[in-house]
Amino acid sequence: MIEISDVTFSYEKEPLIHQLNMNIAPGFNLLIGPTGCGKSTLLKIIAGLYPKYAGKLTGGIDLHGQKAAMMFQNAAEQFTMTTPREEIVFALENLQIKAKDYDLHIKKAVEFTKIADLLDQKISTLSGGQQQRVALAVLIAMDVDVFLLDEPFASCDPNTRHFLIKKLASLAETGRTILLSDHVLDDYEQICDQLYQFEGKTVKELSANEKNKLFTQNKQFHARSYSFVLPTGTPVFELNKTQIRQNRLLLKQNKLKIYGKTTLITGSNGVGKTSLFKAMTKMIPYKGNFTYLDNEIAKIKYHKYLSQVAQIFQKASDQFLTVTVKDEIELSKKDRNHFFTDEKIDEWLDKLQLKQHLDQVVYSLSGGQQKKLQILLMLMTKHNVLLIDEPLSGLDHDSIELVLQLMQECQEKLHQTFLIISHQIDELAQFCDYRLVFADQQLKYVEE
Amino acid sequence: MNPSLKFILAFIISLEISLKASLTTNLIVIVFALIYLLITRIRIKELILLIAVPFIAAFTIFATLFWFSPTPDAYYAWNLSTRVYVYTLTIACVTRNTTATDFARSLEQNLHLPSKFAYGVLAAINIIPRMKIAVKQIRAAAMMRGMYLSFWSPVLYFKSILVALNSADNLAQGMESHGYVEGQKRSTIVAIPLTKKYWLIFFTLLILVNISLFIFK
Repeated sequence: MIEISDVTFSYEKEPLIHQLNMNIAPGFNLLIGPTGCGKSTLLKIIAGLYPKYAGKLTGGIDLHGQKAAMMFQNAAEQFTMTTPREEIVFALENLQIKAKDYDLHIKKAVEFTKIADLLDQKISTLSGGQQQRVALAVLIAMDVDVFLLDEPFASCDPNTRHFLIKKLASLAETGRTILLSDHVLDDYEQICDQLYQFEGKTVKELSANEKNKLFTQNKQFHARSYSFVLPTGTPVFELNKTQIRQNRLLLKQNKLKIYGKTTLITGSNGVGKTSLFKAMTKMIPYKGNFTYLDNEIAKIKYHKYLSQVAQIFQKASDQFLTVTVKDEIELSKKDRNHFFTDEKIDEWLDKLQLKQHLDQVVYSLSGGQQKKLQILLMLMTKHNVLLIDEPLSGLDHDSIELVLQLMQECQEKLHQTFLIISHQIDELAQFCDYRLVFADQQLKYVEE
Repeated sequence: MNPSLKFILAFIISLEISLKASLTTNLIVIVFALIYLLITRIRIKELILLIAVPFIAAFTIFATLFWFSPTPDAYYAWNLSTRVYVYTLTIACVTRNTTATDFARSLEQNLHLPSKFAYGVLAAINIIPRMKIAVKQIRAAAMMRGMYLSFWSPVLYFKSILVALNSADNLAQGMESHGYVEGQKRSTIVAIPLTKKYWLIFFTLLILVNISLFIFK
């Protein structure tokens, strides 16, 4: 049992969590709530990281002597060592596990998360989804009593997600406490014992009725069927005997034309989706031909090319160049398209609930707020092509609708090409015209 | 050899050679270091870089003392310029076949330095490749916003420092979330051996260098 009594927490003057009282029982506990409400903060408080590293706290948290470990929203930032195996060794040494028990711990973690093939690869070369699996593996190897997981599946493909949730459920049955935050409700209905919702600076435990209602809503939402069409017209990108490598061969494409409008790119974790974008922005090299409007990408001047083709990075903070939200907006205003007049920008800052954060340092925004700001900033630019890597991760349902509405309005006016990587097909199906599936080192347009 | 012993040996040799002038010893150490690097199959490209880059420093020192000095002294010029190679090549031997992780573990296990220090060193080393990628990404991100950042642009450094600070903070939290507690005892899963054989090699080499230092000029 985790007891939280009368906890009030604030980063600055205004408290983010106010007089929170809750008891978290062993089992599978799911924590939901809108972007920026304080889910990550609460998890870090329970993990004992706050107020040590940030903020002020009053009240008490009692874990009753249980050991807790946490997985961060941004898995990449959590590793001390270079490979998954070394990281697991590091964590086990911290817990003073004997060398003879090491095999047992690592075997369990590897089986649980299926990372046998990743163990000795450099973590920095793993994909976002693979890094999340490794981060979870470390926690499994540590075999703690309390698992604090902050959006652990945000970059995982649906199959991996389904598999890991089932595994975690079996772990919860052994008396461990799992507290997990997520925006996506899929796969949890049969599994979660308790559903907590952040509401007005405190957390409310939902009744069985409320719980059912939420899950039914979610089901109805996903019951909508979708279909895509095959593209026609003039292509924007053309691939001819193209190869992309990152540790291993990821793409081997004989011939492919990529068209304008909006295309959704899907594929399982580590298949090479982000690497494709990296090759398209000249961050990594490719072999063969890859042209943009009939010009070989490798031969176009870098700054000229990036003024036409830009990427919205998976990690929002990579996009920021200045300090405060206001500075970022001002920077983007300097070279913006005609859709974003001053009034339009104001309107959207308001809608995305960023207006009250204008003077805040961008890095101190919550994960979801950073994502919203990042997308707004990049839509303001004059690019013809935007490569968008997981635009919806970390966003709640309302924010997703807003972001999609903004992208749609923008595209209607400016006719940009959007290529979107995402695992959230249901949310994006309406918005996207075409769908490219990435599997077996090939990209292919499909209709379903 | 044990990473810490290697490091200490290289350190002592460098220090002694800095204090006592002996051109012969310098040359012996350089030859031995080169043989060691070749035996451990260093890539030729790396070896050439190791010789070419310090050449600028060595040549400058030699030129200053031999050509541009009012009292040219060939021995002194050779002695000081070969020292540059003693330093770089012995350090190359230390890093040869020793990963940063091994080195950190050795500092912790063999020298009993505080784990905070050992992993601090490791974090600092590990952050270098990350910063390289970060700088590349920052420049790309800037170009995507219509900004060209040259290598001396303050924005580039400002953002790099922010990234580094942010990673440092995250790293501290990440370590703690994986069970690390400052000052708490840790177990040893991957042991770094410190055998009698290593001590023997260590003292033999050290004594040989000292004998050479005092006998040869």
